Amino acid sequence: MTTDAAPTPVPYDPALEPGLAAFLELVERIPLRGDTILANRAHFATIIPPIEAQIGELPLEFEHRRVPGPAGSPEIEVTIIRPRERAEAAPGVLGIHGGGLVLGTRFFGTPELIELALRYGTVGVAVEYRLAPEHPGPAAVEDCYAALEWFAAHAAELGVDPERIIVSGASAGGGLSAGVSLLARERGGPRLAGQLLNCPMLDDRNETVSSRQYDGIGAWDRNNNDTAWTAVLGDRRFGDDVSPAVAPARAAELGGLPPAHLEVGAAEVFRDETVAYASRIWAAGGQAELHVWAGAYHGFSGFSPEAIVSRAANEARDSWLRRTLGVEPSP
Amino acid sequence: MTAYPPVPFADELLPALEAMNAAPQPPLTEESLPHTREGADRMFPSAAELVAGRAVEAEERVIPGPAGSPELEITIFRPTGHAAASTPLPALVNYHGGGMIVGHRSWEHGRVVDLVESLGVVGVNVEYRLAPEHPYPAGVEDNYAAFVWTAEHAAELGVDPERIVVMGGSAGGGFAAAVALMARDRKGPALAGQLLICPMLDNTNSTVGSYQYDGIGTWQRELNLLAWRMVLGAELAGSTAAPAYAAPSRAADLSGLAPAFIEVGAAEMFRDEDVDYASRIWATGGQAELHVWGGAFHGFDMYAPDTELTRAALASRDSWLRRVLGL
Repeated sequence: MTTDAAPTPVPYDPALEPGLAAFLELVERIPLRGDTILANRAHFATIIPPIEAQIGELPLEFEHRRVPGPAGSPEIEVTIIRPRERAEAAPGVLGIHGGGLVLGTRFFGTPELIELALRYGTVGVAVEYRLAPEHPGPAAVEDCYAALEWFAAHAAELGVDPERIIVSGASAGGGLSAGVSLLARERGGPRLAGQLLNCPMLDDRNETVSSRQYDGIGAWDRNNNDTAWTAVLGDRRFGDDVSPAVAPARAAELGGLPPAHLEVGAAEVFRDETVAYASRIWAAGGQAELHVWAGAYHGFSGFSPEAIVSRAANEARDSWLRRTLGVEPSP
Repeated sequence: MTAYPPVPFADELLPALEAMNAAPQPPLTEESLPHTREGADRMFPSAAELVAGRAVEAEERVIPGPAGSPELEITIFRPTGHAAASTPLPALVNYHGGGMIVGHRSWEHGRVVDLVESLGVVGVNVEYRLAPEHPYPAGVEDNYAAFVWTAEHAAELGVDPERIVVMGGSAGGGFAAAVALMARDRKGPALAGQLLICPMLDNTNSTVGSYQYDGIGTWQRELNLLAWRMVLGAELAGSTAAPAYAAPSRAADLSGLAPAFIEVGAAEMFRDEDVDYASRIWATGGQAELHVWGGAFHGFDMYAPDTELTRAALASRDSWLRRVLGL
């Protein structure tokens, strides 16, 4: 903890306050510290509806599969979510869930894949990656990358256009999506059509202005973030050899990446690292679109879906998907 | 290979850019300026032509300028039938673009009328003095005077004085940012928000973005250098000693400002200065919303209106205005 007074935070949009309060009550009842990770994980598991309940009567189908993990690592569970009515050459979405790299299951991220399958006929693959601290970095991002390789190699079987696969996630899932994009570039791996980074967790150093503005307040505050990165990196944290795949802000060069969509709240820890990541992509001549929503807390568009600002955020993201994937929403 | 490869333009914007390149304008220089400006006030439809058949009225007015300066022409747009006795409406005070050296308010009557019509607000479109004949601070003082006049005549205009937003694109965005600084510093009338569309904020031309669009795009590096020289003179043109009301990036303190909306293209030279301005507002605990549209060039919404990018950008603006004005 720093002894300096925390800088004045950007205040919340009053329309988001109820959603924030509900988020804190539902998700962050127990402060996330080194010794409460497992308790938090157990609580988290109780708030994620099973996939059967998430899909209900929707005209979608799901299928669980086991796919090869990274070399020398266990197999990975994935769940495929797609329209019951199959199409040819549909866009594909690799969905990576949030939860600070220490919490959550792939079913925390499936609502997005359900929404996209309904709206655009996408085929989604939700990946169950290994969590820290039992599996420190880069286990999670390597699992996600292995899932991408499997997805791309099985595109034809899944009815997916291999030229239109994007990677998408929120929070830790956004950071992992950025990490998978870096690995795909580095390894000459599958060509991604885009990376959708929603309030992404990118930087283990936790030293931006915004990371100090939300110290003890808001959703996913400075202390939660600190706990999570220490769980992922241990003694390696803050060092010079942190892998960019684990903490994408550490990448020396951000050229040659798939087009990025970055969105974040103006009132959250990840604001400044997200803006910096976009700025570095532009400086390299890369494509990125950035939206920083006024007075918005971490995860606002999911937890306050009726607020005007959340509707605008969902529309802006939707516009980017239409432009990037060349899709039109179903009526 | 240049040292600063630019962010490429979005495919759907290319036809608009190609059309512009197919009919190149003579290069803008100090010498060609009078010719460039000729007929500027007749290039776009007049206020009366624009509102014909729409539920919007236009009124031309002349109002006092800053102390010791000439009067200002403004055009007021309001929903048809709106009067002093009606329920007060929010107001948008608009400053047109053109690098602070060219342009006329009629260039942006369309933008203002669209907002008056869709949001049910009063619009005030301001004619300010241009550089180099009228260097800093003529333009910005004109624009501040028009904002103060609007606030002081709120009752007569049927405007809610607590819900006035200043706005503008490009140079107009820079002016709107400066007026927000002046309103804070001079303890002027209440300002509910500043809507900054690809604003021209930084006179130093020193960001990566300012080098990436050297010789390409719409508003290019050379034009920006020329404009700042005309506004500030050769000595202050690129200097960090330039006054903040000329170049808002020079303001030492961005706290206590009206909520800001900042929109810019990812493929234009103002990108980095606009992102920086938003970041500095947030660092003080101030409210700002930032949108940087993928592959978008300077002024994309004007040059390429019928595109997905423009529709999305207008929707975001609309959403923010509804939030800050309670509409």
